[in-house]
Amino acid sequence: MAAVKKGDTVVLVGTRKGLFLFHSRDRKRWSSRGPYFEGDTIRHAILDPDKGKTVFAGVTSEHWGPVVARSTDFGGKWSIPKEGPRFSKESGISVTKLWQLQKGPEDDLYVGVEPAGLFRSEDDGATWSSDDGLNYREGREKWEPGGGGLCLHTILPYPGDSKRMLVGISAAGIFATKDAGESWSMYDAGIRWYGKQKLYDREDLSTCVHKMVRDPQDPAIVYQQNHAGMYRRTRGDPAWKIIENGLPISKSTGGAFGFPIAAHPHDRATAYAVPLVGDYNRVTPGGAMAVTRTTDGGKHWTKMTKGLPQRGAWFTVLREGLRTDSNDPAGVYVGTTTGQLYNSRDDGNSWQLMADHLPQVQSVEAGIVGGR
Amino acid sequence: MGDASGGSIEVYVPYPLRGLTNGIGTVEIRAADLGQAIAELNRRFPGLAYRILDDQGRLRRFVNAFVNDEPVSHLSPNDVPLRTGDVVTILPSVAGG
Repeated sequence: MAAVKKGDTVVLVGTRKGLFLFHSRDRKRWSSRGPYFEGDTIRHAILDPDKGKTVFAGVTSEHWGPVVARSTDFGGKWSIPKEGPRFSKESGISVTKLWQLQKGPEDDLYVGVEPAGLFRSEDDGATWSSDDGLNYREGREKWEPGGGGLCLHTILPYPGDSKRMLVGISAAGIFATKDAGESWSMYDAGIRWYGKQKLYDREDLSTCVHKMVRDPQDPAIVYQQNHAGMYRRTRGDPAWKIIENGLPISKSTGGAFGFPIAAHPHDRATAYAVPLVGDYNRVTPGGAMAVTRTTDGGKHWTKMTKGLPQRGAWFTVLREGLRTDSNDPAGVYVGTTTGQLYNSRDDGNSWQLMADHLPQVQSVEAGIVGGR
Repeated sequence: MGDASGGSIEVYVPYPLRGLTNGIGTVEIRAADLGQAIAELNRRFPGLAYRILDDQGRLRRFVNAFVNDEPVSHLSPNDVPLRTGDVVTILPSVAGG
């Protein structure tokens, strides 16, 4: 097994059947490890770049429950805790699946779960505390699941301010806290009503957020791929703004449909998405794969196809299936439900097939050993 | 609880959970009901109860339990009495994809 060294680019691919790890010096020749956690679903795994080769994996056994596993040597050995996050006895609900993992600003670790909940660990996933302000929020009994279940799938800490955070729950909506999770308010104004030519004019109406990401240079700016379109919102905005110029528009929702959205690691106002036909047919339009990019904060989107399959490519890219690394130029990685992993070494301008015949890709994450 | 009460029973541990039991597939313990049996298993093999029971203390959705040949998955584990000589079998549901 090839050694992993400081400065290597690593890519973590969570699938329906285990975790696959890739690493490379030059992003041209890749070595792989795994699969780890055979038979289990990995909806997300992350590298902790400040801790070198430390990897956290959200491991969900459909039979035997979920845990967050940790490896400090890039998969050489795994520490499997005795338990995962739990809801209280009084709640009457039980954690069934793990979704997104996210490092917090205080060397803490967050995990979003299904049914929707947020948990925090201060000991690298060995034990978890519930964010009661969100998990037992009044009105949660009205939260409805999306097609993937009632899941908390997006956690956006605010760099430099440990009290602020956004989370996305399908299909309950977007929730914001400014007091470290003591209280939460909804943040959904401006999203389209499904199939109607009007926009939500209140914050407290549940929308189906698919994924959100912060702008690399200004964390107050958030881009959102929603079930009903593509949006942007920043400080002071009374509502989300539609940013769909250049994106294919779904006939059912009247907006751009897709699941993932990823930010460039350095370049202001630059983000990536993968458009799909619509919620009635969640595949790449025309069987031709494209990653779209905006470099002006969503005013325009440009389709990038060089090196991506343009015939017979009928698949979905799930909400965690698109990521960038932190190199310059940036690497971009996209994993499909049919088991292909594509990568770009030039900010998304051109692409190569990096791995094929993987199990259904649930998540892609990328980073550099030792950080950058 | 556990060794302190109940008769001697045998518990079959399925293959996927034997990473927690050092590879042991059959465990002999003393327990008066299924809840006690799982608690005793967890005392000997920490983490095993989490894999079998959900946050509410029920059998996980895709975990089945049998006492001898009788399915008891629909019952609360504390409501499943055990008698000396019973064989408890823990099995995953034949579900997946």
